[in-house]
Amino acid sequence: MSKMKKVLSLLLIFALTVSLVGCGGAQKEETKTDSAQTDEAQATNEETSETSDNYEFTEPVTIKFANYAVLEAGYDVFWNNAKKGFEEKYPDITVEFMTAEYGQMLTQVVTWVGGGEKVDLVFGEASWLPTLADAGIILPVTDTFSEDYLSQIYPSMMDAMKVYGIPYGVPMYASPFIMFYNKDLFEQAGLDPNSPPTTVDEMMEMAPKLAALKTADGNQVYPFGMTTASVGVSGSCLTSLVYGFGGSVLNADGQLDIDNAGFTQTFEFLKELDDKGYNPQVSKLKDLRNLFALGQLAMYYDQSWGFNGVRSINPEAANFVASAAPLAGGQGTGESVIQAHTLMMGNNGEAQVEATKLFIEYLLTEDVLVPYLENVAPGYPSMMALSEIQGIKESPVLSGALKSLDTAKSATNIPTINDFNLELTALSQAVTVNDKEVGQSIEEFKKVAEIILSN
Amino acid sequence: MQNKSITFGSHKTKGAPFLKRITKDRLFALSLLIPSIIVTVMFILVPVLDSVIRSFQDYRIKNIIAGTPGQWNEFANYMKLFSNNKLLPSIETTFIFVGGVVLAQFILGMAMALVLNSNLKGARFIRSIMMAPWIVPTIISGLIWMWIYQPQYGLLKYVVEIFSFGKITDFAMLNNPATALFGIAIAALWKQIPLTALLLVSGLANVPDETMEAARVDGANSVNRFFHITIPYMKSIIKVTTSMAIIENFKQFPLIWTMTGGGPNNSTSTLAILSYREAFVSNNLGSGAAVTTVWMLLMVVVVILFNIIFKETKMD
Repeated sequence: MSKMKKVLSLLLIFALTVSLVGCGGAQKEETKTDSAQTDEAQATNEETSETSDNYEFTEPVTIKFANYAVLEAGYDVFWNNAKKGFEEKYPDITVEFMTAEYGQMLTQVVTWVGGGEKVDLVFGEASWLPTLADAGIILPVTDTFSEDYLSQIYPSMMDAMKVYGIPYGVPMYASPFIMFYNKDLFEQAGLDPNSPPTTVDEMMEMAPKLAALKTADGNQVYPFGMTTASVGVSGSCLTSLVYGFGGSVLNADGQLDIDNAGFTQTFEFLKELDDKGYNPQVSKLKDLRNLFALGQLAMYYDQSWGFNGVRSINPEAANFVASAAPLAGGQGTGESVIQAHTLMMGNNGEAQVEATKLFIEYLLTEDVLVPYLENVAPGYPSMMALSEIQGIKESPVLSGALKSLDTAKSATNIPTINDFNLELTALSQAVTVNDKEVGQSIEEFKKVAEIILSN
Repeated sequence: MQNKSITFGSHKTKGAPFLKRITKDRLFALSLLIPSIIVTVMFILVPVLDSVIRSFQDYRIKNIIAGTPGQWNEFANYMKLFSNNKLLPSIETTFIFVGGVVLAQFILGMAMALVLNSNLKGARFIRSIMMAPWIVPTIISGLIWMWIYQPQYGLLKYVVEIFSFGKITDFAMLNNPATALFGIAIAALWKQIPLTALLLVSGLANVPDETMEAARVDGANSVNRFFHITIPYMKSIIKVTTSMAIIENFKQFPLIWTMTGGGPNNSTSTLAILSYREAFVSNNLGSGAAVTTVWMLLMVVVVILFNIIFKETKMD
C-alpha cells in the first residue's frame, strides 16, 4: 500500500515536472496553431484581393492596433466606429484593438513586441516616439508615406514627430499648451472676460483681483495654474513655459541648453507664483482640470483636449471656458510646445504596413476626423486642408488660441525625455515647495540632467 | 536516537540493506522536491542572475526587440548611480520608510491584536471588518489617500482646518517634501496593519494561560507579563510578521508611484522608484538592473541582521 502511494506520488511529480518544463513550448505551439487557424479562416472568408493605389493585397490582413483610448468612455465610440467604417471600406482588412490603460501603454507595447507579439499601429503621445524609435519598434513614416502626402501636414507638427531628424509618426491632431480661462471669474473680479492677459506681467497685474475671489462655498480661487507634479507631461508643460519666456531647454542635438535668461526667468516666475499663493502646488494637469471645473482656478495651461477632463466633471464648464494663447514672458513671444496625438507604425511586413497606411489615411480624412475633433477631443487637425473648419474656428475651447499654432515649436525628442521631464518637475518643486534659491537649484538640476542626457 | 537504532535494527533483521533504504528515502524526498527546485531555479534564481549580469552591461529595450546581447560597459551603470547623487538619498529614504512603517506597523498591529484578543464588546465585529483595507488593491488605496490628502478639497484639509480653528487652511501633506513620505507611510499602514494584527492575534493564542496565571499570582503586573511572557512566547509569529512587513515595504512601489511619483523634489524617491525610473522611464534596463542589484544586496544584509536579532530561542 505504502509502495503504491510512493509510486503514485512519483508519477504525479513526474507529470508536474514534465508540464512545468514543457509549458513554454506548449504555449508556442498553441500560438502557432491559433494563428494558423486564423489565417485559414481569413483565407476562406475572402478569396478576392483588394487593390490600393500602390499595393495589391493578395490575402486578408489584420492590423493589430495598440490604442489606450478604446478603454476610455467618450473615445471608445469613435474608435469602434472608425474601425467599422474602415472595415466596410476595405473588407479584406480587419482592425484588431490591443488595449492597455493610458499610463501603461508605452511599457505594454514594448512588452508585447519584446514577447514576440506583432503591433502594427500605436496611438499615443509624441513623447513616446523616441522610446519606440530607439527600440526599433516603429518605422520612419518617410519609408511609407509619400513626400507629397506628408507635406499636407503642418510642418511644425511634423517636426514634433522627429527623432534625431527623422519623422517616426503621423500626427492625427495636435495642440500647443494653451491657456484656458474662466470668463465668469474674470467678470466677478471686474476684468474684461474678452481680454485675457497676453503677457506674464499683465497676468500678474490681474492675479490679485482673482485671488481675492471666493467660490460660492467659500473656497479659495487660484489665479493661475501651472502643472509641476512629478509626471512626464508636467515636464513638457514646463518646457512650454520656458519657450514662452523665449528660453530653451534642449538644443536640436538633445544637449542641455539652459544657460539662457528665459530658462531662469521661468523658474523665478514659478517661485513668485508660489510665494504669492497663486498656483496650486505640485498639481497634476488633472488636478488643475478639477479646480478649473469647480470654479476654483481662473487660468491654467493645458492641451486643448484637456478640456474633456474639465467637461467630465462639470458639463456646464463650456459656458464659462475660453482659450487664449500662452503668455509671453521676459524677452519671449509666448511660444509653446506642440503636443500631438500620434499614429506610429510597426514594421511587420509589406502587407501589414500598406494596410496600416490605408487606415491612417482613412483616419485623417475630413469625414472621420472633423466630427471627432468637433465633438469628442477638441484639437487642431494635422492636415492643413482641414484648418478652416467652422466648428473648430468657432469652438470656445479652440478659437481663442488658434494663433498659438503658428508660433508653437516642437520639443527635442530624445529617448530619455520622460526621465528628463521628471527632473524638470523636480527643479520646479525645489524652487517652490522646497523654497530653494533659483540659481542654486538650476545648478543642481544641470548636474543631474547632464547625466540623464548622457544615458 | 534510540528509536532510530531500533528501527534500523529491525530493518537489518528483515534483510533490507540499511544504506540502500536511506538512499532510497533520500531519492524519493528529492524527487518530490524536483518541481519546487525547477520553479525556484527558473523563476527566481535565473532572473536574479540575469539581472545581476545585465547590471554590468549596456542593455536597453532595443536589445530585447532585436534579440541582441548587452555590451559590457565597464561598471558604467554603477558609476552613473553613484555620480548622479541619487542612489544614496534613495537608500536613505528607503530605510527611513521601511524602518518607520515596520516599527509603527508592529506597535499599532500589536495594540490592535491585544484589543481584539480581549473580551471587549464588538471585538468580533471589528475583527470581521478590519481586513477591508488589506483587500483593497494598492493602487486604489493610493488613489483613496490622494483624495483624502487633496490640498484644496480633501478630507484631511477640512479636518485640519476645523481643529486649528481655521488657522491652517493650506495643509498639503503630499506637497511638502518634509511630510510627503509620512503621508505615504500612513497609507501603507492603513493597508498593512490589518494583516499584522490578524497574525499577531493568532500568535496570542500561543501564550499559555497557566503561565500568565502563575505570573499574575506571583504579582507580575500587566506590563511585566506583556514583556516577559507574551512577547517571548510570540517571538516566532513576530519574526514572521515583521519579516513580511520589511519585505513588503522594502519593495513598496505602486503606492509611492501613484501618490507622489517620487516627488516632491525627489523626497519620496525610494530604491523601487529609482529602479523603475532608470529601467522604464529612462529606458536603460542595465542601469535599472544596477539599482536592483544594490537593492537586493541591501535586502540580503537586512534579512541577515534581522535573523541575528531574532535568533531562535526555545520557550520551555
